Amino acid sequence: MVLADLGRKITAAIRSLNNATVINEEALDAMLKEICTALLESDVNVKLVKQLRESVRNSIDFDEMAGGLNKRRMIQTAVFKELMKLVDPGTKPWAPVKGKPNVVMFVGLQGSGKTTTCTKMAYYYQRKGMKTALVCADTFRAGAFDQLKQNATKARIPFYGDYTESDPTKIAAEGVQKFKDENFEMIVVDTSGRHKQEESLFEEMLEVSNAVRPDNIIFVMDASIGQACEAQARAFKTKVNVASVIITKLDGHARGGGALSAVAATQSPIIFIGTGEHIDEFEPFKAKSFVSKLLGMGDMESLVEK
Amino acid sequence: MFNIFKGLVGTRTITKDQLGLIVDKMRVLLIEKNVAAEIADKLCVSVAEKLEGKALGTFEGVNSVVRNALEDALTKILTPKKPVNVLRDALASKKNRQPFVVTFCGVNGVGKSTNLAKIAFWFLENDLRVLIAACDTFRAGAVEQLRTHRTRLNNMYPGENPDIPKVFLYEKGYGKDAAGIAMEAIQYARDNKFDVVLVDTAGRMQDNEPLMRALAKLIKVNQPDMVLFVGEALVGNEAVDQVVKFNQALADFSQAENPRIIDGIVLTKFDTIDDKVGAAVSMAYTTGQPIVFVGTGQTYTDLKNLNTKAVVNALMK
Ligand SMILES: Nc1nc2c(ncn2[C@@H]2O[C@H](COP(=O)(O)OP(=O)(O)OP(=O)(O)O)[C@@H](O)[C@H]2O)c(=O)[nH]1
Ligand SMILES: Nc1nc2c(ncn2[C@@H]2O[C@H](COP(=O)(O)OP(=O)(O)OP(=O)(O)O)[C@@H](O)[C@H]2O)c(=O)[nH]1
Ligand SMILES: [Mg+2]
Ligand SMILES: [Mg+2]
Repeated sequence: MVLADLGRKITAAIRSLNNATVINEEALDAMLKEICTALLESDVNVKLVKQLRESVRNSIDFDEMAGGLNKRRMIQTAVFKELMKLVDPGTKPWAPVKGKPNVVMFVGLQGSGKTTTCTKMAYYYQRKGMKTALVCADTFRAGAFDQLKQNATKARIPFYGDYTESDPTKIAAEGVQKFKDENFEMIVVDTSGRHKQEESLFEEMLEVSNAVRPDNIIFVMDASIGQACEAQARAFKTKVNVASVIITKLDGHARGGGALSAVAATQSPIIFIGTGEHIDEFEPFKAKSFVSKLLGMGDMESLVEK
Repeated sequence: MFNIFKGLVGTRTITKDQLGLIVDKMRVLLIEKNVAAEIADKLCVSVAEKLEGKALGTFEGVNSVVRNALEDALTKILTPKKPVNVLRDALASKKNRQPFVVTFCGVNGVGKSTNLAKIAFWFLENDLRVLIAACDTFRAGAVEQLRTHRTRLNNMYPGENPDIPKVFLYEKGYGKDAAGIAMEAIQYARDNKFDVVLVDTAGRMQDNEPLMRALAKLIKVNQPDMVLFVGEALVGNEAVDQVVKFNQALADFSQAENPRIIDGIVLTKFDTIDDKVGAAVSMAYTTGQPIVFVGTGQTYTDLKNLNTKAVVNALMK
């Protein structure tokens, strides 16, 4: 399973508390050290790991707990809560509304999997009975329109794009308008890969966003990303209104922890994950059941939701 | 970051205790810069082992001693064991009337095709004739992507005779066997006096056995002069697993006595990571191979050599 390695290590760390004869500050620190090592090995942002450690430590007051309180349970709950924060910003995930046009814009770093994931998501909602279409607003990458066109054709999804037009804003606006006029319910706009260091690319993203006024902007992250994710994700969020995250390439060996930083940085939930190059290798993501599965803790929700 | 060392100045020899604290900080410093945790650990342990019990000079602090040792270790990792000169090798091949064949491989979306195009541009600039082999027969748009580059490069380097193009794309569409297309392309290059063959391959996950077998086959049957692993500077801890498993697959699945493995690394998207340059260390350390090219953007000229000093400075900052 996704992030399974990390889950196993964290579970082991928490279990080690059960073996400790006394649960004191030292035992807590030892456990936290183990957890933090596991998180760092999974690419979770160093700052977030430090925060997690501090928060757990601050929420446990050994003097106050001296009585009959179950220390183990308190510590476990604190750890769960902090892990939840990593994968779940607490905002409600976006869902499309049937019977009206839902415009979704994909953004992200170069090669993260936007174009592939666009078709996957369009296909997913098409199979749920929605009238879906794709718009290729990537006029930069060589072969971008052909890629989207071939994917869309294979999945029998209507698409819009232009080989000669070089202004992505124009194509995006035209395509979205066309499909709105034709009563499409899910209109997915693919854009070029970009990074925060190149301001003109970020400006272009804002222009496209202003032109199509998306109902949802999805930030697509590659599961193998490391420590650079946080700053990039934050920059995307600052420029446009990112509201959802999709993590791709989780079929590989990657633990996906780096991409989790995108959740914290954009305050947006992960809505889907990509698990392969094929169109149906795509799954909805539910943070809560994910973390409890990850830690092999069936009763985690009841622990956290208090 | 290194302020913690101040209190330790003046000790005669470096003790294990002193090092423990410093090593912990060093480790986090490297991880923050995106060095894989495992590599950061190994590096720090080896630096600590080397320094333990060492006498300090009168004006020397543990701080600077550790710093220097780490800097040295990093520099050593990033410095090629033997000099790399791709152009010289290509020219030598040309002299022997053999095309110089380079295969690009790596996981999905890291920048194989784009940096292949940049390297094609670089060879063209150096007056060599380049054939690109479209051996990604899987990903949608992969062939058209190369066609676009071919057309652009062709416009930049038209040559005197349109019948003898400076750059050519050997393509056979989608769904076909990549190893076979590469073989035909190399033969075509030989017959038509191309100096360099750049073989593009499909992205693949290092755990995907069928795809890794197919790559091993392509490399075994075509014996390229150079196998370049393309990895992105954005990658975190996965960097280690990627190069280890690519090497392993190339060795295991080739069933050859002296299997071909990764000869060098193309480190891409270096313009997207600010000072988090650690992937360079993870990849170079794990493979022991040089970083031959660094990709620093999306245009043809965004191809550089690794500036070891700048990378080490960024890591130590
Ligand atoms: N294994 C695997 N590969 C994926 C997945 N999602 C996308 N890919 C591959 O990743 C590579 C890049 O995907 P693209 O969809 O072209 O990425 P992009 O973000 O549109 O790239 P740019 O437009 O250049 O920024 C392709 O080889 C895809 O097949 C996934 O979930 N698993
Ligand atoms: N910023 C930046 N982007 C790059 C660099 N190299 C490649 N890219 C971008 O990364 C994206 C993916 O590049 P490709 O060359 O298609 O990657 P690939 O490895 O061939 O992808 P697949 O064949 O799908 O596995 C494109 O948008 C490129 O423009 C680089 O050095 N810097
Ligand atoms: Mg794309
Ligand atoms: Mg490619």
